[in-house]
Amino acid sequence: MSTLLVWKKKLQKFYASYSVYILKGIQFVLGILIFGLINYNIGFMKMASSVVCTIGLAVICTFLPMLVMTMAAAVLILVHFYALSLPIAIVSAVIFLLMYIFYFRFTPKKSWLVLVAALAFGLKIPFVIPVAFGLMGTPVWIVPAACGIISYYMVDFVKGSATALKSADADGIAANLMSFTKQALGNREMWLMIMAVAIGILVVNVVRSRAVSNAWKIAAVSGSVVCLVVAAAGNMILEGRLSYVSMVVSAVLGIVLGLVLEFLFFSVDYSGTENIQFEDDEYYYYVKAVPKVGVSAPEKRVKHITKDTGNRTGNKSGNTEDILLTRSLSKELGIEKERPE
Amino acid sequence: MLDKRKIRLMTKAAIYEKEYGEEDLKTASYYKKDYTSLNTWVTLIWITVGYVLLVGIVFLCYGETLMDGLTIMKLLFMGAVVLALYLAVMIIYGIGAGNFYSKKHIRAKQRVKKYLRDISRLEKMNKKRR
Repeated sequence: MSTLLVWKKKLQKFYASYSVYILKGIQFVLGILIFGLINYNIGFMKMASSVVCTIGLAVICTFLPMLVMTMAAAVLILVHFYALSLPIAIVSAVIFLLMYIFYFRFTPKKSWLVLVAALAFGLKIPFVIPVAFGLMGTPVWIVPAACGIISYYMVDFVKGSATALKSADADGIAANLMSFTKQALGNREMWLMIMAVAIGILVVNVVRSRAVSNAWKIAAVSGSVVCLVVAAAGNMILEGRLSYVSMVVSAVLGIVLGLVLEFLFFSVDYSGTENIQFEDDEYYYYVKAVPKVGVSAPEKRVKHITKDTGNRTGNKSGNTEDILLTRSLSKELGIEKERPE
Repeated sequence: MLDKRKIRLMTKAAIYEKEYGEEDLKTASYYKKDYTSLNTWVTLIWITVGYVLLVGIVFLCYGETLMDGLTIMKLLFMGAVVLALYLAVMIIYGIGAGNFYSKKHIRAKQRVKKYLRDISRLEKMNKKRR
């Protein structure tokens, strides 16, 4: 365990030094995955579905805020839908607009959560979402998760019935408009997954914030199990086409992700828990204090094995000020070296 | 000679300007009541547009079923339901948006206050050096 903690400390140091590049790298990978999945699944417009376009969009979005990536993904979906059929593009645009009006106007900085939720569904690992969102966020994150699920199922539905939806005549347009709206929003599997994820996020969030030992682990396991049970039960009742193997794998991955998140963001030592009771004029206090685990990363020590033949004594008096300044700056910048023994 | 205190203050101010500066200064230029009411009204207009779109989508989904055997009473009942839901949504979002923008204004004002304090400290330091 201590080795892992040392690794964590090293990782933190590495992140602190190169956070700009790491964040941009993650943003680029997310962009490639999102635009790649969209183009791979519904690349109806040949020009927009090219590899150049995918990489180009990902590169541009890497250097812009995450909100731009969300908007670019929505526009790319609409462009492909438009290439297939105008009514589908109109209905989808209205659905995206509704998401913006009812939620993202208030928290535009959280719009990337929609991308993450849709991506998890695209990669067939839906149950990592309740664990990740429940551990790292608040119950309000149900809304972006639901928006991501709706977006995913909309794309999935169009992918599955592209030929049936393609129609050019006026009667076909009206019929398409109604049938797409009905089938896209009346998708029972979609509502089942929204319900499972929402319940999962609530369970994880409630358990995580309890004052019990190993709350994060319990939260991750219980959230994944609850999601699995709800989705499996719903699938049986609705006679859906969800794969049980994929659901179980996804739930296991959710638990693993929970453990990783706990390790990265919540390292505590439950063996050192203190239960304290005290009072003031108005209240009795029952406090549970759990110490954080802290390990300092070992510094590289340079041992000089050659004889020190320099004129150090001669320089000493002249360079004292320089040495003191260097030491104080090194200390402040955190690059202090061990003095040779 | 570098002045550590000055560098710290300048860095703090620069980070603030990059993160919140423009939006905060715009927010803080309003009185709290004006800012909250203006944004609440804007939200309510957006919600009205959104509600109309939502009703349209629902109608597209279930239009045929709803229009089946339509009578005046049924039409009036549907109208009443749509109106009641609209009022409920407006009330919920009106209260929510009021609280949200009020808190947003308070936080922006606090940040601007700290920023201006840092700026005036910097100004004093510059004057001292001259």
